[in-house]
Amino acid sequence: MKGADAALGAAGLAAFLVLCEAVPRLGLVDDDYFPPAGRVADALGRELADPAFWSALGDTLTGWALGLAIAVGAGVVLGVVISVVPYLRQVTASTIEFLRPIPSVALIPLAVLLYGTELRSVLLLVVYAAFWQVLVQVLYGVRDVDPVAEETARSYGLGPWARVRHVLWPTALPYVMTGVRLAAAVALILAVTAELVIGAPGLGARIAVAQTSQAVPEMYALIVVTGVLGLLINVGARSVERRALAWHQSVRGEVAV
Amino acid sequence: MLDVHGLRKVYEGSGRRTEAVRDLTFTVEAGELVCLVGPSGCGKTTLLKCVGGLLSPTSGEVRLAGRRVDGPPPGTAFVFQEYGRSLFPWMRVGQNVELPLKQKKLSRERRRALVADALESVGLADAAGAYPWQLSGGMQQRVAIARALAYEPEVLLMDEPFAAVDAQTRADLEDLVRRLWRERGITILFVTHDIDEAVYLGERVIVLSASPTVVREQLKVDLPDGRDQVHTRVSPRFAELRTRVYEQIQAAKRGR
Ligand SMILES: Nc1ncnc2c1ncn2[C@@H]1O[C@H](COP(=O)(O)OP(=O)(O)O)[C@@H](O)[C@H]1O
Ligand SMILES: [Mg+2]
Repeated sequence: MKGADAALGAAGLAAFLVLCEAVPRLGLVDDDYFPPAGRVADALGRELADPAFWSALGDTLTGWALGLAIAVGAGVVLGVVISVVPYLRQVTASTIEFLRPIPSVALIPLAVLLYGTELRSVLLLVVYAAFWQVLVQVLYGVRDVDPVAEETARSYGLGPWARVRHVLWPTALPYVMTGVRLAAAVALILAVTAELVIGAPGLGARIAVAQTSQAVPEMYALIVVTGVLGLLINVGARSVERRALAWHQSVRGEVAV
Repeated sequence: MLDVHGLRKVYEGSGRRTEAVRDLTFTVEAGELVCLVGPSGCGKTTLLKCVGGLLSPTSGEVRLAGRRVDGPPPGTAFVFQEYGRSLFPWMRVGQNVELPLKQKKLSRERRRALVADALESVGLADAAGAYPWQLSGGMQQRVAIARALAYEPEVLLMDEPFAAVDAQTRADLEDLVRRLWRERGITILFVTHDIDEAVYLGERVIVLSASPTVVREQLKVDLPDGRDQVHTRVSPRFAELRTRVYEQIQAAKRGR
């Protein structure tokens, strides 16, 4: 079943590539702006051989990973604190509802004003976008704590810290994992956006350069790279999730009594 | 050992007021096995949570070995009715049993020994590496009991622990509780809505009224110490006792 699905998927992808090759060659679109897949592949080969490409990739991944790490750390810690301290959730709820929908890209002028084209500009945007994904999931996850589990822990003399560690955290973990996966995807989008718009070094900036210098196949090659990056991040996040949650019913595929 | 005096608990919240327990007074001696029986919804869980320090009473008090209970007391273990939710699905059976011991600052070897001994006692010596959700309901409740045993409590509070298992498993678990009680000399307060279970298990049965709850009658169970499912349950004395409890509960329901 799984093998057949994979084969169909590969066939679909191959058909898509053939289409991308054929449509420009048949003159249906202008091949200056939409080069055939073969030419994009050549450009990709040239990129991969260029050390500057690799350093741009490194910059993008640095912004992404650092920003994600900060967002996850802050989201988890604040989420737990907000849930555990009495009344803090009620006090913060409306502020969170107000701040969360602000699109991170609206902060681009602020980032430029504060940090120019430095890495910190990228980080500001990445962290702002990814942080809410994690925070909101943690808040949901903590609400899911089973009162019976909580009472069990209390009856056996587990203190507040031990209850956070042994009851609250494992309960929230599936939600945290979802939050991290969403945050990882959003963080990549914002890292590339920041580079593209602000000009901070990275793949985004390289795409912008390719565009202004009319290197259209290179531009597509770089876009393909960002797509592959997004795919790898998602696959990686899912496999981490599966490992960490081996006990969890969404993964083990059966319902507890 | 355990003194419950004038206990009253009123739940308040979201515009509703429920007087779950009106006025309960009784004592349990050290090493006794007492069954509390009463109709569903009469406040048994509420009472047991007050005794276990999980709820604070509206008025009245609970004293354990002379000390007023105002939080979960150290020497008390609780076995919940909802065993499936009381065991942590993210921990293996052995870890579930061991977790409370980590709070007690015992050495690692001592913890290991207690866990092994407790699992052995309930007949689950080889289930330590399984996750709770891989076990049947009866086995899960035995894990919960093992967790309580490993904690080495002086007082064991059990809230309808066998209400959700099948009849055969239930009989086995009842015998398990009696055996553990006799071997270990723990004081046990066992809550149930099942009259037969109360009479079969207890040295004494406390019958509660329907809500608003008071103690309706206390009954000494003068059955022989060594009880077994086949003979004890058909003995004339057993029949007399269960009839007596039954009448009390029926009368309680009619509110006399
Ligand atoms: N947390 C609560 N809030 C409000 N009412 C409650 C709560 N817990 C129990 N009650 C009410 O108290 C009464 C006794 O409940 P409970 O102690 O669970 O009875 P039992 O265990 O004997 O079935 C019931 O009427 C129930 O609805
Ligand atoms: Mg109950």
